[in-house]
Amino acid sequence: MAVLTAKRPDTAFPAAKRRRRRISPVLLAFVLVPLVVEGFWVFWPALQGFYLALTNWDGVSAPTFVGLGNFAEMFSDDIFKTAALDTVIWLVLFGGLSAVGGLALATLLQKERRGVGFYRAALFTPVVFSLVATSLIWQVIYQPDGVVNKLLGAIGLGSWQHAWLADPKTALYAVLVPALWRQLGYVMVLYLAGLKGIDPALYEAAKLDGATAWQQFRNVTWPQLRSVNSVVLSVIIIDSLRSFDVIWSMTKGGPYHSSEVLSTYMYATAFQSLRLGYASALAVVIFVLAFGVIVTYLVRAFREDS
Amino acid sequence: MTSAGLSRRRFLRNASLAGLGAIGSSSFLAACATSANSGPVKQAAGAVTVQSNLSSPEAKKAIEALAQAFGAKGGATATVNTVASETFRTQLPSYLTAATPPDTYTWYPGSLLSGYARKGLLLDVGDVWQTMGDYSAAFRALSGDGAGHQVFIPTSYYWWGFFYRKSNFAKWGVRPPTNWSEFLALCETLKSKGIAPIGLGAGGNTPWTASAWFDYLNIRINGAPFHRELLAGKQRFDDPRVKKIFDPWRQALPYFDPNGTAIAFQDATTVLLQGRTGMVLTGTFFADAAPKDALDDLDFFQFPILDPAVPVAEEGPTDGFFASARTPHVAEVKEWFKYVATAEAQELYIKNSSGTVLPTNPSAKDNGTPLVQKGRKLLTEAKEITQFFNRDSSDALQPTADAALIRFIQKPNELDSILSDWQTAAQKVWQS
Repeated sequence: MAVLTAKRPDTAFPAAKRRRRRISPVLLAFVLVPLVVEGFWVFWPALQGFYLALTNWDGVSAPTFVGLGNFAEMFSDDIFKTAALDTVIWLVLFGGLSAVGGLALATLLQKERRGVGFYRAALFTPVVFSLVATSLIWQVIYQPDGVVNKLLGAIGLGSWQHAWLADPKTALYAVLVPALWRQLGYVMVLYLAGLKGIDPALYEAAKLDGATAWQQFRNVTWPQLRSVNSVVLSVIIIDSLRSFDVIWSMTKGGPYHSSEVLSTYMYATAFQSLRLGYASALAVVIFVLAFGVIVTYLVRAFREDS
Repeated sequence: MTSAGLSRRRFLRNASLAGLGAIGSSSFLAACATSANSGPVKQAAGAVTVQSNLSSPEAKKAIEALAQAFGAKGGATATVNTVASETFRTQLPSYLTAATPPDTYTWYPGSLLSGYARKGLLLDVGDVWQTMGDYSAAFRALSGDGAGHQVFIPTSYYWWGFFYRKSNFAKWGVRPPTNWSEFLALCETLKSKGIAPIGLGAGGNTPWTASAWFDYLNIRINGAPFHRELLAGKQRFDDPRVKKIFDPWRQALPYFDPNGTAIAFQDATTVLLQGRTGMVLTGTFFADAAPKDALDDLDFFQFPILDPAVPVAEEGPTDGFFASARTPHVAEVKEWFKYVATAEAQELYIKNSSGTVLPTNPSAKDNGTPLVQKGRKLLTEAKEITQFFNRDSSDALQPTADAALIRFIQKPNELDSILSDWQTAAQKVWQS
């Protein structure tokens, strides 16, 4: 939403122009100091990261320049292919389910009823926990003699019992559940805020026209949520590409790379294999993916708007 | 001038390490692992800083007691800075290239250490070794960088074996085996009693424990020299000789605990102590996770001999300290090293820890239990000592072994592709 209101300064610009000569030094300091700090601690290292992607570097000796060699290596790297595929699966499932589920929950819990605050709070609670702590708890839940298997045994599905995190077929999806469990609450809150911002008069008018619940959703709620959607999309893409902590603390991308995504592969390459050049190249790929998707979407969103 | 320029470049490189974390994943773990680069390392004036990865409660208590006793002696003092071992490992390059590094570190000898030594990052402690005349030649060789300098002070070592509970073996009416066929027969007996014969803790965060099986089968069948060459990149993992060692492993696989790749070794220890598994191939460090009353009930047997013609080798990983070449406290560091090499200091450490490690100083007493004496005898009688997979190779190679071996345990029929994938992954590590 904040993104779309950013057009307004256009009209306020002449006023700012008139006042430009009188910018106080304090104000200037407030702008420039953070910019310098940000530049030094964020932009400069990021640029260095791009440079490192073109080198071989073990973290200790001087990096040697290899051009695009690291990117060429990705094409013959089976683990990279697995990680890229898993990242896509993750993006679709994690992103898709949390957006759909979050919106569904928000619509359900939108109306003020008795006890609705409790449900909202309960669904939002997982967001408050550290993901690492969450993962440790879920690791115990997934243990061979953990809660999931005990429950399955109790309801007579003993044959479904499984070493969830140790089986390459289930590991990625087993890790997805706690990640979703957390993200749902977050997306729900974003959508709740968006739903609150819709003018109730629109619904009244729709009702007068005899619109069904689905028509109300399709023609009132959804278009009104467009600004929230762009926020949700950015959040989801960024969050799924950086879903690292939950995977790393539960499976470390294993067993044998079956739950490897690009972020865990990047970390393992950098800090286990000490191949920082190749890891930087992976980081660049992640960056391009995230940035590319988001910029494309935002550009489209703005174009439709104007 | 030049040194200022150098350290600035190094700083920028470290800063860009932080940037690497920031681009791909600004998440909690990565942020932790990288952001510490930029912060100054805690350093008390005059005191030797001991960067320690001994984070298990027993070991932490023991090294802190050691530092305290060193300070009480008069002269230099030492402060212990305990860091989680995963963080420690990933931060080590940053520590060593920092302008003000911590002075000394807990670590183990191996290719990683000699690699740092070649880059001039480690303090030459040859003169400390001058005062350690009675140490065995094996420890001296282990502590060298391969170019004639001593860079490491060994303080303790331990052994690996099949550990079991004496009371359980008595209850089941079985005895420790003396060769491979007896071992398989023992497994069969236990299995018929409804017990998972061979426990394993290669799930969770400890997949590396599976490498003990690889190491032992390789040193029993191909011998320690081949094993070292293989891990150093001079042989190939898809070599028929390597493939051969998976035959006996395949014989033992049906007796493995089916949850072995799903639980961590701490849980595997619990399962063993509860009598749900018969035995576990492990190093003595697992005793840190065992309750004190179970310690007296533990015994172990040697990994069975597979080929009597191969000189007997055992895993005897050595632990100790090294120092940064940039330490401003050279004299104090050497004083600390001389102290930790004494029998007195090693006995103090053993008394405060779980007591299952052996002192490297030949005149220091171990804790004297029959278990420890048996372990000491195992290593003394061995013709060759290996360190462990990651120590004989590198920590960078360890994950390649984890992927290969866990996959073998789960899908033994894919052995050929497992070994060729392993070779591909290992080559990338060796070439980097």
